[in-house]
Amino acid sequence: MSNSDRAEALLRGDKVDRVPLYHFLLGFCARNVGYTTVDMYNNAEKSFQAQLWTFEQYGIDGGPDYGYASYGGWEFGGEIKMPEGEWQQAPSHVNFPVNTEEDLAALAMPDVKTAGSLPLAMEFSKLQQKHGKPITVTLGGNFSVAGNICPPSTLCRWMLKKPDAAHRILQIASDHILDVVRYWSDTFGAENVIPNLWEPMAANDIISPKQFEKFALPYIKETNEKMLGMGIKHILYHICGEQNANMPLWAQIPMGDPGMVTFGHQVKLSTAIEYFGDSCIILGNVLPALIQTGTPQQVYDASRDCILEAKDAPRGFMLMPGCELPPMSPFFNVYMMKKAIEDFGYYG
Amino acid sequence: MASDEKKAEILKGLHDSVVEYEEEKTVEVANEAVAEGLDAFEAIMGGLAKGMETVGDLYVRQEYFVPELLLCADALYAGLEVLKPHLKAESHAEPRKIILGVVEGDIHDIGKNLVKVMFDAAGWQVFDLGADVKIERFAEEQKKCGAQVVGLSALMTTSMLAIPRIIKTLRDSDSTVRVLVGGAPLNPDIAASYGADGYADNAGEAVEQAMKMLQQA
Ligand code: B1M
Repeated sequence: MSNSDRAEALLRGDKVDRVPLYHFLLGFCARNVGYTTVDMYNNAEKSFQAQLWTFEQYGIDGGPDYGYASYGGWEFGGEIKMPEGEWQQAPSHVNFPVNTEEDLAALAMPDVKTAGSLPLAMEFSKLQQKHGKPITVTLGGNFSVAGNICPPSTLCRWMLKKPDAAHRILQIASDHILDVVRYWSDTFGAENVIPNLWEPMAANDIISPKQFEKFALPYIKETNEKMLGMGIKHILYHICGEQNANMPLWAQIPMGDPGMVTFGHQVKLSTAIEYFGDSCIILGNVLPALIQTGTPQQVYDASRDCILEAKDAPRGFMLMPGCELPPMSPFFNVYMMKKAIEDFGYYG
Repeated sequence: MASDEKKAEILKGLHDSVVEYEEEKTVEVANEAVAEGLDAFEAIMGGLAKGMETVGDLYVRQEYFVPELLLCADALYAGLEVLKPHLKAESHAEPRKIILGVVEGDIHDIGKNLVKVMFDAAGWQVFDLGADVKIERFAEEQKKCGAQVVGLSALMTTSMLAIPRIIKTLRDSDSTVRVLVGGAPLNPDIAASYGADGYADNAGEAVEQAMKMLQQA
């Protein structure tokens, strides 16, 4: 089976020869091919090419994708800083478009054809189409987009003291996600688009499951239902960070048939299968820090453990790190994930 | 002068209003403390700071999350604003000083902000450099303010690699400065291998560790 065939077969519900390998790894690709990290975020052609080359080298089956976790601020009129220097791994916000309730009242919906990173993301998706790759658009989950439009601390305070403002910004974030996905669907056909949504800010590292239930769940659920109603077939959700207490709530959210859900090391793959195994492909969750700082043997062992734990998930399993692959990971450690698949990932 | 009973009632009022994140109530009780002639230092440490300690425990027990902590901190600061001008000279003679910042390349600042609150609550003078702080800035600022402790926060394995560099610039500039580190990818072993003097797992522990460092100094 070829690399592209493998991930697509799982999405069709067909059998695959082995566990596919998946990655978010923009910064690592830059280092791997000798580009700068900023090339990966502000040059669609270079970003796409660097990923294709790296995927070929490491036998990666899914992707390439474009996007980053601070999505939302720039699109609504805030400022973003492209990664520079030795330690930056992704774009980061410089300031936020909304700091007060007055800013919120005056906030205009962005034009998705021109706002922030979206023209570049569209250029990237046209390359995905040209090369016959799955067409993805990477956005934050509803709560994270809201927490990138205003500072996360403001969103947190509003939830408790000004719930109307919190609901308002979440509604704006939700409408925006739908606007973007509609634009992608109109351009490529909804059935060909896989929205990739990252939700780090709704983690229990930050909010309680009760707050998730009130402020994240209804928006995520409704947005996903509407995306599926547009004709989207599969949604990929990166359920980032500590999310164990949110799992019964996440399980109420439709992700498509099958959906794709990816987890950090904080959520056990067996737990992910318990909640999502019947409806979604499970992806995860080798500890990113281990891939950077561990020995090759440790990465191999951790990858093996993931494979053995989740290989037989009913709708399939893909091995990936628990979040973005740290750009400074030793090359051989990255190779060890593939080696573990070769040794333990084949189906009978 | 307030009676012992009244004093206890005010201290409890300050504690409870911080824990219940009642900002206005905190200001009200703080004003009452001033009106009743309570020692401001005692009101801060026995009322507001005690309240923040309880908040820290609730956070560790996962009864409170970041939103509650932020609002408790707002109440704390509102109370401090009322009480601080009434501190007697001897009670704030030489405040302990700490510089805090999230290292270069990293914008994850939610944890660092909680650490700052706990140091403020414990009566330290905090110099908060924010997030994505350039390596050299820590030593530059330390030289300016003479902080005994520098606290570095890093949330990514990528950005944590900046820590040993920062420690080197700090040591080159002042060999007596103590360095505390924290953040999800770190642990005591990594902290020690980077040359840090201490590591803390959470915001409450950070203050304890910093106190220990000063005692060892
Ligand atoms: C001085 O002494 C001390 C002492 C104690 C100290 C201390 C200092 N500092 C902290 N402590 C300690 O006390 C605090 C309170 O008790 C604690 O602080 P914490 O900060 O740990 O806890 C906070 C209260 C709550 N926790 C948090 O706020 C972090 C939660 C997680 C889910 C997270 C979030 C929310 C975000 N993220 Co990001 N994010 C993750 C996080 C997952 C995790 N495991 O941490 C992590 C850190 N992120 C990650 C990544 C990859 C990224 N993120 C990114 C962006 C973001 C958001 C902007 C969306 C948001 C941050 C918003 C903000 N303003 O902070 C990007 C980087 C942006 C940048 N340039 O920095 C991006 C690179 C993604 C991308 N490609 O765009 C991962 C890093 C993996 C690695 N290599 O190590 C990550 C671990 C997620 C994972 N899968 O597990 C203790 O650690």
